[in-house]
Amino acid sequence: MARYLLRRLNLFLATSFVLFIVLFIVTSHFPVEKSFALTGLHSPNAQQIEQIEKNYSLNDGQFSQFFSYLQQRLSGDLGISATSQRPVIEELASVLPASFELAAVSAMLALTLGIPLGVLASLSRHKITQHTIMAITLTGYSIPVFWLGLTLSLWFGVQLGWLPISGQLNLLYEIEPVTGFVLIDTLLSDSPYSTSAFIDALLHIILPAITLAVLPFTVVVRITRAAIITIMDQTYIKAAEARGLHTSRVVLRHALPNALIPVLKNLGLMLGPFASYAMVVEVIFAWPGVGAWLVSGIYQRDYTVIQGGVLAVALIIIFISIMIEVLYTAINPLSRKELYASN
Amino acid sequence: MRVLIKRLSAYSTAACIFCLLTGCGPQYVPPGLVYCSEGNPESFNPQLVTSGTTVDATSQQIYNGLVDYNATSGQIIPSLATQWQISDDELTYTFQLRKGVKFHDSVRFTPSRAFNADDVLFSFNRIIDTSHPYHAVSKTGYPFFQSIGFDKLINKIEKISDYEVAFHLNNKDASFLSNLAAGFAIILSEEYGQLLIKQSSEETIDRLPIGTGPFKFVQYVKNEYIRYHRNETYWRSLPQAELLVFDITPKSTSRLAKLITGDCTVSALPKAGELPVVLEHEELEIDSQPGFNVAFWAFNTQKPPFDDVRVRRALAHAVDRDNILRAVYQKTAVAATGMLPPMSWAYSENKSIIEFNPQKAKQLLEQAGVENLTVDIWAMPVARIYNPNAHKTAELIQADLANIGVKVNIISYDWSVFNQKLSQRSYDSVLIGWNADNSDPDNFFTPILSCSSVASNSNRSRWCSPEFDRILAKARATTSRAERKILYQQAEAMFADKLPMLPFAHATRLAFKHKDVKQSRLTPFGGISFSGNDNGDISDVNIEVKH
Repeated sequence: MARYLLRRLNLFLATSFVLFIVLFIVTSHFPVEKSFALTGLHSPNAQQIEQIEKNYSLNDGQFSQFFSYLQQRLSGDLGISATSQRPVIEELASVLPASFELAAVSAMLALTLGIPLGVLASLSRHKITQHTIMAITLTGYSIPVFWLGLTLSLWFGVQLGWLPISGQLNLLYEIEPVTGFVLIDTLLSDSPYSTSAFIDALLHIILPAITLAVLPFTVVVRITRAAIITIMDQTYIKAAEARGLHTSRVVLRHALPNALIPVLKNLGLMLGPFASYAMVVEVIFAWPGVGAWLVSGIYQRDYTVIQGGVLAVALIIIFISIMIEVLYTAINPLSRKELYASN
Repeated sequence: MRVLIKRLSAYSTAACIFCLLTGCGPQYVPPGLVYCSEGNPESFNPQLVTSGTTVDATSQQIYNGLVDYNATSGQIIPSLATQWQISDDELTYTFQLRKGVKFHDSVRFTPSRAFNADDVLFSFNRIIDTSHPYHAVSKTGYPFFQSIGFDKLINKIEKISDYEVAFHLNNKDASFLSNLAAGFAIILSEEYGQLLIKQSSEETIDRLPIGTGPFKFVQYVKNEYIRYHRNETYWRSLPQAELLVFDITPKSTSRLAKLITGDCTVSALPKAGELPVVLEHEELEIDSQPGFNVAFWAFNTQKPPFDDVRVRRALAHAVDRDNILRAVYQKTAVAATGMLPPMSWAYSENKSIIEFNPQKAKQLLEQAGVENLTVDIWAMPVARIYNPNAHKTAELIQADLANIGVKVNIISYDWSVFNQKLSQRSYDSVLIGWNADNSDPDNFFTPILSCSSVASNSNRSRWCSPEFDRILAKARATTSRAERKILYQQAEAMFADKLPMLPFAHATRLAFKHKDVKQSRLTPFGGISFSGNDNGDISDVNIEVKH
């Protein structure tokens, strides 16, 4: 197992290294001066220019330039934002929690609703129930997220006036960021309005979270259903039934844990599309997360923000997908067997 | 199986109840106003910029000037100066200052003294005195003051006593007081300046502002919001709103949606097409104010072939401006016959302004020997007071010019990039406009058409005519309105003849708001005020103007 983990770590480092190479090459092709693209400083004075040249070895060959670049980026220096003149890493730290919050709520929604529905679809003897569930999930799977987001905000926001459609919180609430997660911060806050701020935050997250949850939800339903159907035919399930166990016990104890393994694997595969969907959702609902930040950086030709955003998003996706793979291997007895066989 | 379904239904019922509870529970919102603004301010000191977005976010909220405008009559009224005297030769203006006005306090700064003459000297010397410690702190210069030649106008600012200041002018200027009342001429705290010098973080003065205005600056998050608290020691009556938040929302439709869902209470710069939507909602209303502005299409007269007046006239003849008024403004604007809007006292209808005539346009182009012309039109990406939709305007012009065989490329960038690229001077033509800072007619010429404004980049046509400048200087040096009016008409005639830019509309200022909001008020010369003060209400002061 240790060797396996080492190999995954190696994979993470190698992928990140390739990512840095790509970013480095792209940076040198931005249609601006290289020192500006690297640091975001508009009009550096002579001293700053010297410092930049030294930090990024701009007068040396490409190879040492790359290693200086790597060194700067790894030490946490992502330059400053060209438009706000604040360090990119600081801005990144302020927008990441919002994205994580949205992603966490959506993932929770998708799993808590998707898994039971998948089980229901697989166990139901009625063709109608099965077909309805499958039809709904197929529709959900094929709806473009930008259309869904706009439609939901038009219905529930503008026409019915039930739910707010932009931002994380009514701006009149002043909540000190402690964790960066607004739902938690509002509860921690000692402001007299903390309860209503929490409710307001909850109302704000409903529409974006639902929009973002639709895709993973449908995938979870379909995979859970397929997995349970396969598993229910297995001999050990038959054995459990033969022992006279209740269906619910058979499903919850014996079938579901095994059915969740392919769900986990597919979650890892879905990270990429999930992240790009999250960006679209953030832009539609003006959610102050890393996606909206990156998109506005692109509009404003803020090259340091673009690099920082791409780097952060890509690193997070690489890291989480490798973590999911490790988790998958750890809990899947079959893959463990393969692992031992291959070693 | 049955148990499973039971559990599922119990679970979903619980979830539903939770949603209902949270959805219908009583909500308490802190008392305050949320204003959906259209963009990020470039700075928190309006001295450094000319953009209306920055003026909106600062001048009326954080700062006060020496003098102010009465919103209804357009008269100049006291603000931080209680009264003033003008010497017989009209070269010395003496201001008596208000006593007991406190500056804001913040985490960094607690004022130890009230506002006095030192603050006035500090604020204005920063602009005109190149050896002032803060003069070079501004990377953008002082564009408004440069464009009106403020540094050449002021000979000296003299502190007579702690509460009396005299401005000595080099030459007569009838627009001087009006310019002081503009949103750009605000008063900074000298004490704060000294503190920042000690901490050697001078640039903070424009980033974390301290002023005397109705609201204190609290926090700014780019692309998100600006937060203000009420200034509890404000010298005029306290604003009703304890909190003021600018919710930065560049998209006009998003602003409207936020207004409808109640995320904001007042919304800026609506598009004309959105008016019917607001009328459908009973709780919303439209605030309007005849605009002191002009929207124009400026040609870069330093770039061939636009240096040829025949080409400029040809392009102007080809554009159907009535169509633009109909499609872009939808009756919320009046057609421009020159630079001055009908509200200005120097206005008179200018018949010589160019008419729609594609045939003539073709002939003029032939005369000029220009063939296969391609024009880049830069269209602002954001709505401004004077033009709610520059992109649509550009598309209409594109269609019109196609009729005379001129090809048009529409170019657009994000607003801050757009401004930067404009100052690189490489554009062919740009659709932009001007929102007046004060009621003086000079404000429609000197800041945007004079030679000095070419240098400060606020003259988008980059057109410089010494003769035109002479007319303007003469008009400024005269105090008789009748004479000035004649001079400004001369200027208009010359402008129409040379046509460095094509004015097409004076737009009505609009804002959408919830009906229960009473304390927001559009000011005629740009800026929006949330203090609930009508500046004309001050009864305890007497205005004394001697000649």
